[in-house]
Amino acid sequence: MVYDKESGVFSIQTIDLTKRFAKKKHRGVFGFLRRNQSNNKHNDVTVALDKVNLEIRPGELFGLLGPNGSGKTTTIKCLSTILIPDEGTVTVNGFDIQKETSMVRASLGMVVGGERTLYWKLTARDNLMYFASLYKMQRTHAKKRIEELLETLQLSDRADERLEDYSTGMRQKVAIARALLHDPPILLLDEPTLGLDPNFSRQIRNQIRELSEKQGKTVLLTTHYMDEADQLCDRVAFINNGKIVAVDTPNRLKAMVKEKELVEVTVYRPPADIEKYIRSLLPDAEVVKLIPGDEDEGNPSRIKIIGGTAEEHVETIIDALRQKNIRIGSLNVGVPTLEDVFIKLTGAKLTEDGT
Amino acid sequence: MLKSTYQQSLLRSNLFVVWNELVKNIKSLLAYPAILVFWAVFPIFWFIPFILQGQAFVGGPESASFAQITGSGEYVPFIVIGAVLNSYVNTLLYGMGENIRREAYQGTLDYVLAAPCNKAYVLIGKALSESLSSTIFAASQLTISVLLFGMNLTLGVMLPVFFIVILLMLGLYGMSLILAAFSLMYKQSYDLSQTIGYVFYIFAPVRYPVESLPTWAQIFGKLIPLTYALIIVRSFMLLGTDFSAVYFEVIALLIIDIVLLVAGFYLFSWMEEKTKKSGTISHH
Repeated sequence: MVYDKESGVFSIQTIDLTKRFAKKKHRGVFGFLRRNQSNNKHNDVTVALDKVNLEIRPGELFGLLGPNGSGKTTTIKCLSTILIPDEGTVTVNGFDIQKETSMVRASLGMVVGGERTLYWKLTARDNLMYFASLYKMQRTHAKKRIEELLETLQLSDRADERLEDYSTGMRQKVAIARALLHDPPILLLDEPTLGLDPNFSRQIRNQIRELSEKQGKTVLLTTHYMDEADQLCDRVAFINNGKIVAVDTPNRLKAMVKEKELVEVTVYRPPADIEKYIRSLLPDAEVVKLIPGDEDEGNPSRIKIIGGTAEEHVETIIDALRQKNIRIGSLNVGVPTLEDVFIKLTGAKLTEDGT
Repeated sequence: MLKSTYQQSLLRSNLFVVWNELVKNIKSLLAYPAILVFWAVFPIFWFIPFILQGQAFVGGPESASFAQITGSGEYVPFIVIGAVLNSYVNTLLYGMGENIRREAYQGTLDYVLAAPCNKAYVLIGKALSESLSSTIFAASQLTISVLLFGMNLTLGVMLPVFFIVILLMLGLYGMSLILAAFSLMYKQSYDLSQTIGYVFYIFAPVRYPVESLPTWAQIFGKLIPLTYALIIVRSFMLLGTDFSAVYFEVIALLIIDIVLLVAGFYLFSWMEEKTKKSGTISHH
C-alpha cells in the first residue's frame, strides 16, 4: 500500500499505545537465593507509555516534548518497530506496525541516538551504501541518491574520510542523510540538534523545515529545545510519565498562559524548601517552580512564577531571597514559553538543564 | 519513496545486503591491522610447544604407537591440521556474538533491526565475513606451518579439504547464531563461546586422536561438527583417502549442520521477538 493523500489516512496514528517494562532489581551477588517479597506484580512494572493517542497528518511537522524518561524515545522505538507495544493499535503511513512491519519500516527514516549510531571506522559514503542495501535500494539508484544527499548536506568534499575524523555536527548530517536515503514519506527525529554547535543546529533546523515545507514529508520531532519546537513545529504534544497531557499548535498552547505574567529569577545555592517558602508568600501565583541547575557548569537554578501580578511579585521575591541570604543572579519579567505551559500543566520541569 | 525501495528483485536485493554486510565487516577489520597480524601469525605459537613436546617424548617427527591409532606416524601435520581447523572455532564462535554485541553497543543494531530487509541476510553477511577472515588466517597459519615443518600440500587434496571446511563453517554458523541469540538476550556471549571452544578442544580430536578419549567422551565428541571435520580432513591429507572412505562422517557433518542452522535461525528470531517485547533489544 502506498500512501494516498486523498484517502485521509494519518501518517502516524496511535490508539491507546501502551508499553510496560519490567523493573530490574539488583539484589546483590546472592540475590537469586532470596525469595521475591513482592506480592503485587504491578510494583515490578514501569509503564513507559500509558494509552498514548496521537494523530499526525501527512506533511505535518509534529513535536513531541517531555522531560527525560517521559516516553518520547519509547514512542519512537515503537513506531519504528524496534519495540513491540503491549497494547494498542499503531499505524504508520496506513500500515499496521505489527502486521505490516516491512512496509512500516520502508515508510520511515529515523534519526535516533545521534552520531554514535554510525560506523566510525567507515567513510560517510560506505556508511550510506551499507544502509541503502538494508533498505533494498538498487546499487545504481543508491549511488546516485548518496551523491545527491552528500551534496545537499555539504559533505561531498569529505565523503571518503572515516567518520572518526568528522566533527559531531558532520556525523549528525550523515545520520540525517541515512534517514533520507530511501526518500521515506515519514521522518522520526529524536533530538536531532542535541550537542551541536549553533551553526550546525541552524543548518539542521533549516534542513528539517525544508523537508517538511518543500518535500512534504511528515516529521515527528522530539527535542529538548523549546525555541526549536516553537519555531519548527506545526503542532506539539506534551508527554509526561508516559501520558499525553496536551496536543495543540505552539501558539494555542502558549495562549493558555499568555495572559499570565511570568517572573523568572536565577539564584545560587537555594535551600530545598525555597519553592514552598515563596509559594506561601505568593498565594495568587498559579505556578511556583524551582528548576535546579548545575552551578559548576555555569547554569544556576531558576525559580519560575506564573500568574498574579509580576510587579508585586518582584518586590516580595527579592525581599524573601535577601532574608534567606540567597544570591540572585538575574531577574526577568517576560512572556511565557512552551516550557512554562508544560510546567503549568504537569508541575514538572521539561528539561534537565532547564534550557 | 516506497516504490523505489522495492524496485529490484528479491534475490538481487538480498545478495546486495549480504555483500554490503561482508564489505562493511571486512573494512572495519582492516581498520585494525594489528588484529590481522595477530590472528594470521600468533596462533602458531600456541601449538609449537605441543610439537616440541611430542618430539621430546618420541625422539623424532614420527611415532610408531601414534601410527597404530591413526594410520600415520607423523604427528606434526596431525597437530597442525587440528590447530588450523580449531582456529575456525575460535574466530567464528566468538565473532558472531561479539559482532551483534558491538552493534548494540554502537547503537547501530537499532538501525539494522528497523530496516525492511530480511535480517537473515544480514546474519549471513556477518557469517561470511567471519568465514573469510577465518580462512585468510587459517591459510596464513597453514603456509607458515608448511615452511616451518615441511608439510606437503597439493591442490588435489586442498579442494576436497576446502569443501569440508565449508561444511564445518556451516555448523559453526548455526552455533554462532545460537550465541548471537544469547548475546541479544544476555548482552554477552564471550564466556559462553570460550566455554564451548574449550569443550570442543577437549572432546574433539584437536590435539589427539579421538580414540585417546574414554568411550563416553567419544560419544559426546560425535555431537561436535569439528570432530567429523578433523577426521575427514586428516583422512584426506595424511592417509590420502577420498570421499568414499569417509562418507559416513560427511553425512553426519551435514546432518549436524542442518540441525544447528535451523536451531540457530529459530532461536535468533525468537530472542529478537522476546527482547523487542521486553524492551532490552538495544541494551548492551
